[in-house]
Amino acid sequence: MTARVPHRSVGLGTEPDLDGSVLDLRTYNPLVKVLGPIAAMVVAITSRDLLTPALFAAFALALLLGGGRLAARTLGGVLLGVTILVALMAVSFGMWTDPSQVDHTHALLRLGPLTFWSGALETGLATGLRVAAVVLLALLSGLTTHGADLVRSMIAQLRVPYRIGYAGLAALRFVPRFAQELDTIRSAHRVRGLSGGRGPVSVVRRHTGYAIPLLAGGIRHADRVSLSMESRGFGAYPSRTERRHLPFRLRDWALLASLLAGAPLVPLLAHHLTGGTP
Amino acid sequence: MFTTRFLMACAAIGAATGVLLIPANFAAFSISATVPLAYAPMVGLWLIGPVVALAVLRRPGSAVLTMFVAGVISTPTPAGPSAIVTCLMVGVAMELGFLVTRYRIWRPWLFQLTAIAFTVLYALSAYAAFNISAMSLFAQGIFFALMVASQMVFTGLGLVVARRLAATGVARGIAPTRRVGVGPVPRRPEADAEGRVG
Repeated sequence: MTARVPHRSVGLGTEPDLDGSVLDLRTYNPLVKVLGPIAAMVVAITSRDLLTPALFAAFALALLLGGGRLAARTLGGVLLGVTILVALMAVSFGMWTDPSQVDHTHALLRLGPLTFWSGALETGLATGLRVAAVVLLALLSGLTTHGADLVRSMIAQLRVPYRIGYAGLAALRFVPRFAQELDTIRSAHRVRGLSGGRGPVSVVRRHTGYAIPLLAGGIRHADRVSLSMESRGFGAYPSRTERRHLPFRLRDWALLASLLAGAPLVPLLAHHLTGGTP
Repeated sequence: MFTTRFLMACAAIGAATGVLLIPANFAAFSISATVPLAYAPMVGLWLIGPVVALAVLRRPGSAVLTMFVAGVISTPTPAGPSAIVTCLMVGVAMELGFLVTRYRIWRPWLFQLTAIAFTVLYALSAYAAFNISAMSLFAQGIFFALMVASQMVFTGLGLVVARRLAATGVARGIAPTRRVGVGPVPRRPEADAEGRVG
């Protein structure tokens, strides 16, 4: 039986070195990268024109290209994924748009009783761009931050009680264990002949059959972990020292300020570029 | 306030939820891009974790803690660490119904009622993100009906998982009282001595 090592398809495998150049997005405090873009996301979601979300997406992409230090494969995946996302959403959301709202625009395509209006395509494209902008803004932190670092900075800067934060850190260690245990449970079921047949219904039933022992085993393991943590004095003091420090430096303040200040400026820029006509 | 055992149990359920939400996040993004209506039946997936946690552990904060952990786990997705924000919102929303009833009622109807209240709140935010008001009224109705149905089905599924999980006895000593179906279990002394540490 082989223990499956989980591989991360997106994001960092290990915690990055924090002493790098200012141009490296990975050296910034995770909280800035997570909370900073939220203002921009809200502005992007509530916009209804084409240019505002497109500008947000372009800015986020520029930041990722400039400071993300992404592997070529990740970068290719992001670019391809976002392009496909926008194209698909433009067509599919365009199709769901109420025709009576856009039938004054010219028809692009006629398929029997269905007509695809250019106004519908524009609505769909705007939706696609909005979602793409939000995804790219989220990827600013997603591709440059390790989950454990985010928890550590929540403890250090947001004053989240460290006992709660450590539940998150412990959970990160639980995941490979789950994969291992799933293999064991699968083999155990197979050895007892609990295949349940073929077809989608039995697949669902089989997976619910895995869920209960997996969760029960997980909680039992959690019990043992909590005992061993307490026996080592975890939680005995109101604060605790950390091996890895996540500083909140000048660069973090600068990035946060520019993200927050930039969010309301982008719609103004879009308005200016279109000359007032949407 | 929280025993370490309770925190770690939340971490275990949250880790499982997070593992479930990673493919769910990818699927949600690709599905919502192609067939927006098919996205509605998926939203219930986010409720399984907090429902299981609340129904098994039956303590204040279990939904929020579980979803915090699930958010940390599901960081490597298109949603990125903002998944934590999404997950925390779901956790807080599921907790509200039980907070209002002061954590005394653990009946399935309260789970369903809270889930429906969450759906209404969620639908409002989805209206803005997906510009649903631009869809025809018929499509809007189906979108909302599918969402409510999905929340109810997944809440029900979570309750089934929770019942079978409680029957294994893993929550003994964490949950203050046991459900009727499993039979009365005498409270163990260490369950009464709350706050063993901290």
